[in-house]
Amino acid sequence: MSKVVEISPTTRHEGHSKLVLKVDDQGIIEKGNWCSITPVRGVEKLAVGKTPEQVPKIASRVCGICPIAHCLAATEAMEASIKCEIPNDAKLLRHILQLANRLHSHALHNILTLPDMYIPGTETKINPFTSEEPVRSVAKRIQRLREIGQTVGQIAGGEAIHPSNPRIGGMYRNCSEQAKTKMYDLAKEGLTLAHAQSEFMIAVLRNYQKRDWVDVGGMKVPLPKTLGYHDQGYLATHAFYGSSSLEENPSWDIRRFKEARPYDWYMGEMEVTLEEPKYPIGGTTKMGTKTNPQMEACTGIPMYDGQPIEVGPRARLAVYRGFDEKGTIGQQIARQMEYQDCLYEMIDCIDELNPNGKVVADYIPDGDGTLGWASNEAPRGTDVHLARVKDWKVQFFSMLVPTTWNFATCSKALEGAPWQLAEVIMRGYDPCVSCATHMIVVDEDKKIIAQKLIQ
Amino acid sequence: MGAELGNYKSCVSARSTDKELLKNAQDGGIVTQLFAFALEEGIIDGAIVAANKEFYAKYPSKCIQDSSNLDMIEPWRPIPAIVNTKAELLAAAGTKYNISPNVALLKEATRSFGLDKIGIVGTPCQMQAVRKAQLYPVGLRNVGASISLAVGIFCMENFPYQSILQLVEDHAAMKLESVKKMEIGKGKFWVYGKRGQVVQLPLKITHKYEQPGCHVCLDYVANLGDISTGSVGSPDGWSTVFVRSKIGDSVWGKAMAAGCFETQPIEKVKPGLELVTKLANEKITKNKKTLEGRATFGVGKALRNPYI
Repeated sequence: MSKVVEISPTTRHEGHSKLVLKVDDQGIIEKGNWCSITPVRGVEKLAVGKTPEQVPKIASRVCGICPIAHCLAATEAMEASIKCEIPNDAKLLRHILQLANRLHSHALHNILTLPDMYIPGTETKINPFTSEEPVRSVAKRIQRLREIGQTVGQIAGGEAIHPSNPRIGGMYRNCSEQAKTKMYDLAKEGLTLAHAQSEFMIAVLRNYQKRDWVDVGGMKVPLPKTLGYHDQGYLATHAFYGSSSLEENPSWDIRRFKEARPYDWYMGEMEVTLEEPKYPIGGTTKMGTKTNPQMEACTGIPMYDGQPIEVGPRARLAVYRGFDEKGTIGQQIARQMEYQDCLYEMIDCIDELNPNGKVVADYIPDGDGTLGWASNEAPRGTDVHLARVKDWKVQFFSMLVPTTWNFATCSKALEGAPWQLAEVIMRGYDPCVSCATHMIVVDEDKKIIAQKLIQ
Repeated sequence: MGAELGNYKSCVSARSTDKELLKNAQDGGIVTQLFAFALEEGIIDGAIVAANKEFYAKYPSKCIQDSSNLDMIEPWRPIPAIVNTKAELLAAAGTKYNISPNVALLKEATRSFGLDKIGIVGTPCQMQAVRKAQLYPVGLRNVGASISLAVGIFCMENFPYQSILQLVEDHAAMKLESVKKMEIGKGKFWVYGKRGQVVQLPLKITHKYEQPGCHVCLDYVANLGDISTGSVGSPDGWSTVFVRSKIGDSVWGKAMAAGCFETQPIEKVKPGLELVTKLANEKITKNKKTLEGRATFGVGKALRNPYI
C-alpha cells in the first residue's frame, strides 16, 4: 500500500518549497508533488498603473538570484509592447550583463549541489565549506567565478544584483574604454577557471552516476540509473539570450501557452503516513500531519502545447545543440557545459562593444496597449514577461518564470526514484522558488477555481 | 582648542615642481600633482575631480551629466568628472568656488567607469561623506574598498552657483565667461578677468551668499582626508599640506622621493600654522553658535545637530 511522505521545507535552493510524495513499500515514488509554499508576491498587481520605467525595477526585486533576467525580460517586454528598437551597443551590454548573471548563478548552484556528491574514489561527501583540499581550492574557484560574474555585471549593469543601468529604450550609460578592458580581463580569467570548474564538476557528477547506492542521513539508498527521467520535452527561446515579440521570427509562441491552476494538477488532501527522523536536517514531517498540495501550492502550472515542459540549461542545449542526456545528472552536466559557453559569448560581446556608441533609442513611443512579450534565458530557464503599455502606463504585466515551468515537470521526474533522492532531483533544476510564486487568472471561466484557492 | 587641525602625521608647505602644472593650478598644484603622480604610479587608476564646461565639451564620456544640450551648462559650473591621464587632470585643475558633487560619481566610478582604485578630491564635508560611505556602505556595494586616495581641501564655507553668479556679475561687474580665476585670500574674494582686470571684494560682502548648510560644519582642514591641503598658512603659490593617514603618508613619501614637490618646513614660512589654527578656530566657534542656535530653533522640536 502506498504511503505519503513529506519533505518540508526543502533545502539548498532559493525560496521555500516542499515535496509531497506518494511512495510504495520499497520507498519508490509513485506520484510526486513539488510545490512552492512561498507566499504570493503580487508583483504583477503592483505593476499595474505604474510607468514602464518603474516596473522592471520592481520585477527584479522578486528575487536576488536571477534579478537580472527579470529586469531584462520586463524591460524588453515593455519595449516589445511600445515597439521600441534599441541600439546595438545597448543590446550588447544587456547580453554581457545577462551572461555575467548566468556565470555567477551556475557557480552558486555548484555550492548548493556539491554536498549531495562524493569526492571521486572515496566514500566522503563533499562539504564545500571545509578547509581541506581538494575541496578548498574548488570552493575558492567557485567564489572567484562568482566574483567575476558579479563584477562584470556591476560594470555592464550598474549593480551586480538588481541592475540599475537597463532602461526602456536601451541602457542609461555605456561603459568606458577602461571598464571594457576590465570586463575583458575578467572574462579571460573566468574562462580558464570555468574550464577547470566544468571539468571538475562533470567528473564529480559522472562519479555519482556510476554509484549503485548513495548515503542519505545514514540510510543506504539504491541509486536508479534513470534518476530524474521524464518525457515532458524542452523549451528554450535562445541558446544564450532570449527572444521577443518584436522579432521577425520569435522563438516562443504565446498561442501555444496555457496555464492551469495547481488545483487541477496537484494531489488533494492527504495525511502523512511515513516519517523518517534520520532524514537530513530534522527529519521529514511528523506522521499524521495533514497536507494538501492542491491548496497550498502557490504557483500556476504553465503548459506549452498542453503539457508542462522543462526549461533550463539542458533545455537550451537540447534545443540548440542536440544534447540528449536525460535525467538529473544529464541536466547537471548541461549546466556545467554552459560555463565556457557563457564566457566565450561574453568575450565576443565585449569585443564587439563600442564604448563610444549610442545606448539609448532616439525615439521611445508611449505605447498603444499592444500585448508585447520578451523572453530571457535566465540561468535556470526561460523567463517570459508579458506586458501591455498604453500612454506610458502599464496596463497588464505578467511573469512566466523559469521555476514555474519546472515545477510540474520536476514533479513528473520524481516518479520512479527512491523518495530519499527526491531533493537531489529537485536541486538538479536549480530551483528559484520566490519568483515562481505568483498566480494570475488568465481566463474568465477559471476565476472560480482561483476563488476556491483564496477561500 | 587643540583639535582644530585634526590628526596628522606631518605638515609642510609645498608646491609642485612641475612648472607647466603650476600655470593651471590654484596655488601649489598639490591635488593635481598628487593625482598625476598616483595615476602614473598606479596607486589610483582614475580620479574624481571637479571639471567644467570646457572639459566636458572635450571629454563628454568622462562625466555622467546628460550631454544632450551643452549650451545649457553655465560657465564656472563645476561638473564632477573622472580623469585618467595627466592631460585630463590639467584640463580640470583649479578651484571652482561652488560645490561640485564629486561624491555622486563615486559609485559610478566603480561601475561603468570600471575603476578599482579611485582617487577623490573634496571639501571637508565630502571627505566625511566618503568615509561614511566606507563605514556604512548602504547602496554602495564594493565601493568603499575601491577608494585608494582621498584628498581633502580646506574650506571655510562654500557658495551655491547662484551666489557666484551674483558675486561675479553684480558685485565684481564682470561676465562669468570672462573670468580667468577666482580666489579667496588675504581676507578678500578675488576675481581675475581674462583681460587682466582684477576685482577684490571684501569677505563682508560674500558672507550672505554662503550656503547656509555650511554653517554647521566644524571641520576646516578636512580632518578625514588621507591628505589635506589648502593655500592658508603658506606664501603665495605654495600650499599647506597635512599628511594624515597611513595611505596618505605612503603616497606623500613616494611622491617626495620622486621629486614631485618642493617643500619648506611649515614653521619657517609666514604666516604658518598660526593662521590656519586661527581660522579653523574661527570657523568652529562661529558654527558652534549655529549649532547651539538650532537647539532652540523650530516649533517644539530642535533642529538636528549633525554631530550627534
